[in-house]
Amino acid sequence: MKPMLSTDLNVAETTVEKAKIEVKNLNFYYGQSKALKDINLSLPERSVTAFIGPSGCGKSTLLRVLNRIYELYPKQSAEGQVLLDGKNILDRSQDLNLLRTKIGMVFQKPTPFPMSIYENIAFGVRLYEKISKAEMDSRVEQALKRAALWSEVKDKLNASGLSLSGGQQQRLCIARTVAVKPEVILLDEPASALDPLSTAKIEELIDELQADYTIVIVTHNMQQAARVSRQTAFMYLGELVEFDRTEKIFTSPREKRTQDYITGRFG
Amino acid sequence: MTAVSEAATSSAMRTREATVRRFAVTDMVFRAATRASAILVLVLLGGVAISLVAGSWQALSKFGFSFLTTESWNPVTENFGALAPIYGTIVTSAIAILIAVPIGIGIAVFLTELCPRPLRRPIGIAVELLAGIPSIIYGIWGLFVFAPFLQTTVQPFIIWLFKGVPGLSSLFAGPPYGIGLLTSSLILAIMVLPFITSITKDVFDTVPAVLKESAYGIGCTTWEVTRRVVIPYTRVGIMGGVMLGLGRALGETMAVTFVIGNAHRISASLFAPGTTISATIANEFTEADGDLYTSSLVSLGLILFIITFVILALARYMLLRIDSRTGA
Amino acid sequence: MSTAQSLHQSRKRKNAVMMALCVIAAGIGLAWLALILGALLYKGLSGVNLAVFTEMTPPPGDAGGLLNAIYGSIVMTVIGIIVGTPIGVLAGTYMAEYGRFSRLTTVVRFINDILLSAPSIIIGLFVYELMVRPMGHFSAIAGAVALSILVIPVVVRTTEDMLNLVPNALREAGTAIGAPRWVVIRSVAYRAALSGIVTGILLAIARISGETAPLLFTALNNQFWSSNLNAPMASLPVTIFQFALSPYEEWQQLAWTGALIITLTVLGLSIFARSLTGRREDR
Repeated sequence: MKPMLSTDLNVAETTVEKAKIEVKNLNFYYGQSKALKDINLSLPERSVTAFIGPSGCGKSTLLRVLNRIYELYPKQSAEGQVLLDGKNILDRSQDLNLLRTKIGMVFQKPTPFPMSIYENIAFGVRLYEKISKAEMDSRVEQALKRAALWSEVKDKLNASGLSLSGGQQQRLCIARTVAVKPEVILLDEPASALDPLSTAKIEELIDELQADYTIVIVTHNMQQAARVSRQTAFMYLGELVEFDRTEKIFTSPREKRTQDYITGRFG
Repeated sequence: MTAVSEAATSSAMRTREATVRRFAVTDMVFRAATRASAILVLVLLGGVAISLVAGSWQALSKFGFSFLTTESWNPVTENFGALAPIYGTIVTSAIAILIAVPIGIGIAVFLTELCPRPLRRPIGIAVELLAGIPSIIYGIWGLFVFAPFLQTTVQPFIIWLFKGVPGLSSLFAGPPYGIGLLTSSLILAIMVLPFITSITKDVFDTVPAVLKESAYGIGCTTWEVTRRVVIPYTRVGIMGGVMLGLGRALGETMAVTFVIGNAHRISASLFAPGTTISATIANEFTEADGDLYTSSLVSLGLILFIITFVILALARYMLLRIDSRTGA
Repeated sequence: MSTAQSLHQSRKRKNAVMMALCVIAAGIGLAWLALILGALLYKGLSGVNLAVFTEMTPPPGDAGGLLNAIYGSIVMTVIGIIVGTPIGVLAGTYMAEYGRFSRLTTVVRFINDILLSAPSIIIGLFVYELMVRPMGHFSAIAGAVALSILVIPVVVRTTEDMLNLVPNALREAGTAIGAPRWVVIRSVAYRAALSGIVTGILLAIARISGETAPLLFTALNNQFWSSNLNAPMASLPVTIFQFALSPYEEWQQLAWTGALIITLTVLGLSIFARSLTGRREDR
């Protein structure tokens, strides 16, 4: 065992919550090339974890393993274990659609479906639940309120999702994800395509959502990681360099590479 | 309270699992349907090849290789040879390409370099509309408008012009019928022009702006940029477009059937009536009595299929090379 | 200095000449379109009257209309589209979605492109061998099958192209919400690519509604009204072919009128189809 990877012990010391997701000896391959090298970490329940690091370090790849979205593409494969509530989701018997109802994801660019605002949200709910129109109406309203979008769109629920501004679209995507009642929400640089005002709204939202959800956010913006997350993982060249409480990472990192990165010496 | 909500959650989980199983089945069925349809495309082309081989078996086994080298086509004595239609097909297509390529490239240059921006799209669409006009329209227009025009004005003039010039005088020997090999070639040229133009224009658009700008930067004229940069850079793509046009010309049926004159003989003069593979099939297939006659016509179809398959495969290969370069 | 100047002059002259030739080439291209449309309007319009749409094709030397031919064209085109479109859309879906990275897709794409430009008379021969010969007679259904075989490659091509334009992020988003692949395709990808796919279908209709060669020895022709799919059926293009090459003036006039009807239909469809995708590009 490389000493720097035994950090889950440290986290265990500092956090008392139970782990929602545990990653054990995870390796990931794009064809022949190894993109993630022996990753071990555990994500505590109902809190925000940030993955940071220079581009190409594998932070997005790690996120995409957690809901196995990489399975859409050939020649991408993961080995090792990812335990969700103690059950290995990398297991072949794991149903992918079921997994994704438990682990939602929001992407870098807003991705509203080509349908109305209402349908954008109802679409996911309708997949697995047969509920009445009235119930659906209230589900849509709840989700939009949760994403702090309700007041802006309540009068135009039948307008196309594409008619919203970029920041609104991204909140619609968060509402859509929340509406299917996941347990974990993965955010892949959710604010990198947005203006500062919209970014602030999204960060506020993340802060509120952690009361109910386990949240993992990938960001290249270190201030953002510092602002929104409880613990931070710093990755470099496919390795997990350091994983600890966020203030520890940003004030007194153990690893020199972490320090170099957060002080802006590279990346 | 907690127990109740947990029970509710677990029952919700159970319905989710049932839904997931249903989804998996539907997904498998849908996937299989799409895959079967994709395979059907292959089956279609395979079916075309097999049916043509089967249908032409009788004629090819009787005449053998001489089918390709015999000019005579005699339904009465049941003696069939494909040389005249093959000759007509190749000559008309070759002339059509010779005419259409420079004009097509000229239009493409006009559209990419010279045309005022607001006019680009309308003119581009107009040229593409030419491609959409059904071939029978070209045929009826060629027979009633174009051929008489050629017969009364252009052909007599050319015959007069080359009178006594060795070679050319026999190539353009009278009498001026109007219809014939040259008329067919001209109609074919008009028909393949839009294909060559739109593909050439598309590949011209793939030339990186920096490349052109740096040539302009050292003082090249528009023509020099086109001749020295754009055309060399897109050579393979243009060849692909030309091949595609050639494939069209070789297989074009109705327009040619109207204006070629349907004569099974090879003449030196381009003004003489002739025939092509597709025109022969179109004209004679329903009237062919006797299995050998029909089989000979299907054999012509098989020859056309093989020629166009090779030409079109080459065209696609060349266009793929352009695509992969811009894609990378 | 003076040689450099004269060189410059000659280069400029050459440029002017070549560019003039390009303008002339474009003029020629447009002139053909104008000449053909002009002749069609001139010769075809004079024959347009109510009888064209209400009366059957006449015997030689008589007056009449094109009703049975128009009807036959519509019937066979509609069947051709109904049969060909689902197959084309599904095959295109496989290539852009399930099989995007598979070897089968590469092969199908190549073969489909060849089928797309294959001479239509060859398709006619194929359907003759496939249906007419075993059945022992010509039939409308054989004609419709021949047309559907022409529809398939057009629809395959546009469907694949249009689905490939749908951003992957949208597919990932659909998948990430727990939707199975077919739901993502149906509710997200198809919806995003809808106008493009419809354009492909319209272009396919435009293509087959003027096709003559594949009908010559499948549906043949029929001088009378027939709605029997198992019997020969008239069509506009085949009727034009027969009438135009006849020595009878009434028939030739009907051929011109029919040619005008087909051309306007086809051009209308093509322009409408382009306007659909044109709007898409502007967005």
